[in-house]
Amino acid sequence: MTTDQDLSMDGQSARAVFAAKGTDVTPNKDQGVIKVVKRQGLDGDRPMIGDRVMVHYTGRLLTGKKFDCSRDRKEPFSFNVGKGQVLKAWDIGVLSMQRGEVCTFLCKPEYAYGTAGNPNKIPPCSSVVFEMELLKFEGEALTDDGGIIRRIKVKGDGYTNPNDGATVDVHLQGSCGGRLFDCRDVSFIVGEGEDKSIPLGVDRALDKMQRGECCILYLKPKYGFGSEGKPEYKIGPDKDVVYEVALKDFQRAKESWEMDLSEKLDLVGDVKNKGNQYFKAGRYYQAIIQYQRIVSWLEMECGAGVEQQKRIQDCIVTAHLNLALCFLRIKEFSQVIDNCNKVIELDKGNEKALYRRGEARLLRNEFSLAMADFQQVLQVNSSNRAARAQISICQSKIKEHHEQDKKTYANMFQKFAERDAKTRRTKRRRDESERSGMNGEVGIKRRRRSQDCLP
Amino acid sequence: MNEDQVNDIIQRWRDTQEEDLKLDDYQLFKNLGSACLTEGDGEQLLQFVQDEKNQGILKSMGHVLLAPLINDAVKKKKNLNHCQAAITHLIKTCRPNHLLNSLLEVIEDIDPGAISETILALIPHLQTVLLRLDERKAAGVGLVLSALQKQVSRLPVPYTQQQVEADELGLCRCCTALAAFMKPFTEEVKRKDRNCVTTAEDEELKTEILKFCMRSLREPLLEAELNRDRKSPLWLFAVEIMVTLPAITEPLSGLLFFSSQRKSTMMDSSQTNESKACLAYLLFVQLITIDSFPAVFSPVFVLQCNMEYINHLLSRKKESYLLKGLALFSKSLENIQDNSLPVSLLEQKSVYSVSQNLRQLLTDCPMQHLRESGLEIFQLFINKLDAEAKHKFFRCMLKTSSHAGVESYIVKNIRNQIEFSMKPGNANKWFLGTELLPLLGLVLCLPQGAETDLLNSMDKIMESLNLLRYVLIRDKELRSNADVWEELCRIKDEYLKMLRVCISISRAYYSSELKALKEDQKLKAKEARDAARSNRLVKSITVKHEKVSNMSPEVQNQVLQSALVTFDLMESLIVRIEEITEEKLTKLN
Repeated sequence: MTTDQDLSMDGQSARAVFAAKGTDVTPNKDQGVIKVVKRQGLDGDRPMIGDRVMVHYTGRLLTGKKFDCSRDRKEPFSFNVGKGQVLKAWDIGVLSMQRGEVCTFLCKPEYAYGTAGNPNKIPPCSSVVFEMELLKFEGEALTDDGGIIRRIKVKGDGYTNPNDGATVDVHLQGSCGGRLFDCRDVSFIVGEGEDKSIPLGVDRALDKMQRGECCILYLKPKYGFGSEGKPEYKIGPDKDVVYEVALKDFQRAKESWEMDLSEKLDLVGDVKNKGNQYFKAGRYYQAIIQYQRIVSWLEMECGAGVEQQKRIQDCIVTAHLNLALCFLRIKEFSQVIDNCNKVIELDKGNEKALYRRGEARLLRNEFSLAMADFQQVLQVNSSNRAARAQISICQSKIKEHHEQDKKTYANMFQKFAERDAKTRRTKRRRDESERSGMNGEVGIKRRRRSQDCLP
Repeated sequence: MNEDQVNDIIQRWRDTQEEDLKLDDYQLFKNLGSACLTEGDGEQLLQFVQDEKNQGILKSMGHVLLAPLINDAVKKKKNLNHCQAAITHLIKTCRPNHLLNSLLEVIEDIDPGAISETILALIPHLQTVLLRLDERKAAGVGLVLSALQKQVSRLPVPYTQQQVEADELGLCRCCTALAAFMKPFTEEVKRKDRNCVTTAEDEELKTEILKFCMRSLREPLLEAELNRDRKSPLWLFAVEIMVTLPAITEPLSGLLFFSSQRKSTMMDSSQTNESKACLAYLLFVQLITIDSFPAVFSPVFVLQCNMEYINHLLSRKKESYLLKGLALFSKSLENIQDNSLPVSLLEQKSVYSVSQNLRQLLTDCPMQHLRESGLEIFQLFINKLDAEAKHKFFRCMLKTSSHAGVESYIVKNIRNQIEFSMKPGNANKWFLGTELLPLLGLVLCLPQGAETDLLNSMDKIMESLNLLRYVLIRDKELRSNADVWEELCRIKDEYLKMLRVCISISRAYYSSELKALKEDQKLKAKEARDAARSNRLVKSITVKHEKVSNMSPEVQNQVLQSALVTFDLMESLIVRIEEITEEKLTKLN
C-alpha cells in the first residue's frame, strides 16, 4: 500500500488526482479535506467522537517530501478523535474512516498547519497529504482506572462544561445486560446525583460533557451501583451498567474567584452537611466531592480580622479532616496523609489529624512513622486510649518485621529478597484494594472509634 | 598474628569447602586484606589474588576484598595500579551476584567527600558484573542505577558556565559515565524488540531504565542550565535520556500527553510531574528529538497539556525551575494564533493556577530578569485569548490580584481592547457592549471607599482615569447603546465622586503630616541649639516619637510632597474628564 507513485508527481497533478477520485469530507464542503480510499475497511465499524484511535500515518508535502511518519518511529500513533487534540483535517478525516481502512487525505492549510506552517518541517500556507491506516479504536476512558468509558454519539456545542455544583438537565437511559431499567428526564446538581438515584459514573462524566452532547457511558460497578446493587432497579451486586446520557442544558456554578468571601462562608455549612450526609450513608466518593468544594473555595482566602480568619481556618481544618476520613475508608492512604498534613500545617497539635495520619501510615506498613504519630496524639491528649492501643499494635508489627528482616539478612541475597518482599507487598495491596469494591465495606464494618465521628 | 599463622589460616581456607566457611572467616579475610592495604603492601595482595592456588578462596570470599580495594584505589595514588589489577581480577573471578552485593554496599557506604571519584571508579566494574549476571539482571540493573543516582543527587548542580567546565565535584563526569553505563542495556532492549521476543525480564529491564530516565530528568536536569549552543556534558546527558525513552518503547507523546496507566514508576505523582515537566522543556524549548515527535498535534492541545507542567515549574521558588517554566509557557503560546484561545481554557484548573503563579512571580519575585520575562509572557498569554476569554481573565485578575501594579496593567489592557473593538469589523459585546459594564464596575471602584490608600493604589487609579478619559473622548461607538452609556455614566459619576472625597481626606491628612514634620524640625533645630549651648548639663534629649518609621526627615519631606503632587495630578485628570463631559454635552445639544 505505498503511495510513492502518487506522490512522486508534482503538486499540480496530485491535486488533479484528488479532484478526480476524491470526496470532500468537510462538513461545510469547502474542499478543505479531500479523501481517496486506498483500501476499504473491514466491517463498516466507524469510530465515534472522543474514541481513542490508533493509526499509522505518513505526512508529506505536495513535493513528495515526507515530514512525519509513525512507521519511522515503529509505533502506531494514538489520540482521542474529534476533541481538537490534532490537526482539524485529522479529526474530520479519521471520523470518516472505518476500521482497517487505508486512505489518503489532501488537506488545505486551514485544516492543517495554517499560515504559520511548522518550523523546519512545513513551509507557511502549505497543503499537505496524509496517508492513514485506521488500526483500531475504543471508547474514551474518563478515569485512570478505566471504570468509566465514554463514547459520544452527538457532539455538544461550545466549550464549556458543567462544574461541581452546576445544575444540569439531562435525559437518561440506564440499562444492564441489555435490560432498560431507567429512562427519564431529570434535573440535578453535579456532585449530588446520588440524591436522584444517579450513579457516580454519570455524575463524574458530566463535567466532561458539553451542552447538547449525547453519549454512552459504560460503567464498572465502582462507578455504577457497587457491591450493594440497586434493588429499586432490580440490579444485583457488582454489575456493569450502561447509560445513555443527553445533556440538554446546564447552569454553571460560580467559580471560587467569582464569589465573595461572605458568600462562600454562607454556603460552607450547607455543603459540609451534604458531605456528612453522604459520609453517613457510606457514599465516600460523593462526600469527598462536597468537602473538596469547601477546600477549593477557602484555601486561597485569608480573611480580614482575627475572628474571620479563625472561621476560615476552622472550616478548612474540618474539611481536610473529613477528607482524610473518607480517603481512609476508600483506602487511598497517600491522600489521607496529604490531607492530615494540611491540617497539621495549620494546627500542629491537631489530635484527629495526627491519629488519622497514624492510621494511614500503619496501613501502609510505615510502622515507626505511625508510632510517632500516635505518640504525638498522646502528648496532646494523654487520655486517648485508642492511640495507646495503636502504639502497641505498631510495636508488635515492628518486632514482627524485625525478625523477618533478621532472617533475610542471613541470606546472601538479602537485597534481592527485600526487593521481592516489597513488590509482593505492593502487589498484595493492589489485589486487596481491587477486591474491595467501592461500597464493599459499607454496613459490614462499622468500627466506631472516638476518632471516627465527623467534626 | 604472625606470618605463619596467616599462612596456616590461608591453608585451612584452601582446604575448606565453601559451605563450611563461617561468617567469621569472611570477616577475617576482609581484615587481612585491609591490613595489607593500610601497610601499603598492595603488591603482596595482588600476588595473593593472582596466585593459582588461591582461586578457590577468591571464588567464595574474594568479593569482600572489593570494598577496601576500591576505597584504597580512590584515595591513594601509591597502590593504584596494584589495586586496579586486583579489582579487575576479582571482577572476573568471583560470582557476579556476590560481587553485585559487595559493590552495592560500597555505593551505599560511599565517602561523602569522594562521591564522584568512587562512582567513576565503580561504573566500569558494575557494568561488567551486570553483563555477567545470568538471572535477575533487570533487578540488578535497577538496584545499581537507583543506588548510583541516590549518591549522584547529593552532588551540587553547577550553575555558571565556568562551574560546568571546571566540574569540581564531578557531577558532569558522573552523568556522562551513567549514560555510558546505561547504553548496553538499552541496546539489549532495542535488539530484543527488533526480534520481537520480549520476556517478563525484558519488560522489567525497560521499566528500570524508564525509572532511571525519569529520575534523571528531575535530578539533575531540572536544575541544570541547558543551552543548545553550548553542548555541555549535561546537555549531552539530556540528549541521551531523550533518545533512550523512545528506544525503550516509551513514546514521548504518550508520556507527556496521555498519562500511561500501565507503568507505575514508583515515584509519587508530584515527582513524576516534575520529571515530565523537564521532559516537556527539553522537547519543546531545547527541541531535543523534536524531529521524531509527531507533528500532528494541535497547538492548543499542546498548550493545554503543558499547562500542567508549567504550573509545576512556576509553583516552585527556584530560579532554574522558574526559567524553565517561563520558557515552556512562551514556547507553547508561540504557535497559537492571536485572539483564538476559548474561554473554556480558563476553566481548566491548571490554567487558573498558572495565571496565579505568574501573577505572584510578577509581584513578589526578587529577580528582575524573571519579572521582566514574566511580564512579557503575561501579555503574550492575554494576546492569545479571544474576546470572551480576555474579559473573563481580566475580571479574574482584578478580583484576585490585590496588587495595584498588576491591576493597572490589566486596566491598560482593557483600554487597548476597547480601542481594538472600535476598529471596523472588531465590534463585540465584551468590550463594546453590555458586558463591558461589569468589567468597568471592577475597574472604577475604590474597595475601601473613602478610606482607600490612594498612594498604594495610585497606579490603578491613574490608569483608570486614563481609561475613563479615553472612553469619553471616543464616545461615539458606546453611545449607540443608550442603556450601556447611561449606566457607564452612572458608574463614572459615582467613582469620581468617591475619588474626590478620598483625595480631599488624604490631602488634609498629608498636609497636616507635612506641617507637623516642619514644626518638628524647627523644634529639633532649637533643641540642638540649646543643647549645644548647655551640652555639659543635659545629655539626653527627649525626641518626639517618630511616626513615619525610620526615614530621615528629608526623605519624609520628599515622600509627603510627592504624595501631594500625586493628588494634584489625580485631581487635574478628574477636572479634565469633567471638561470633556461638558464639551460633549454642549456639542450634543
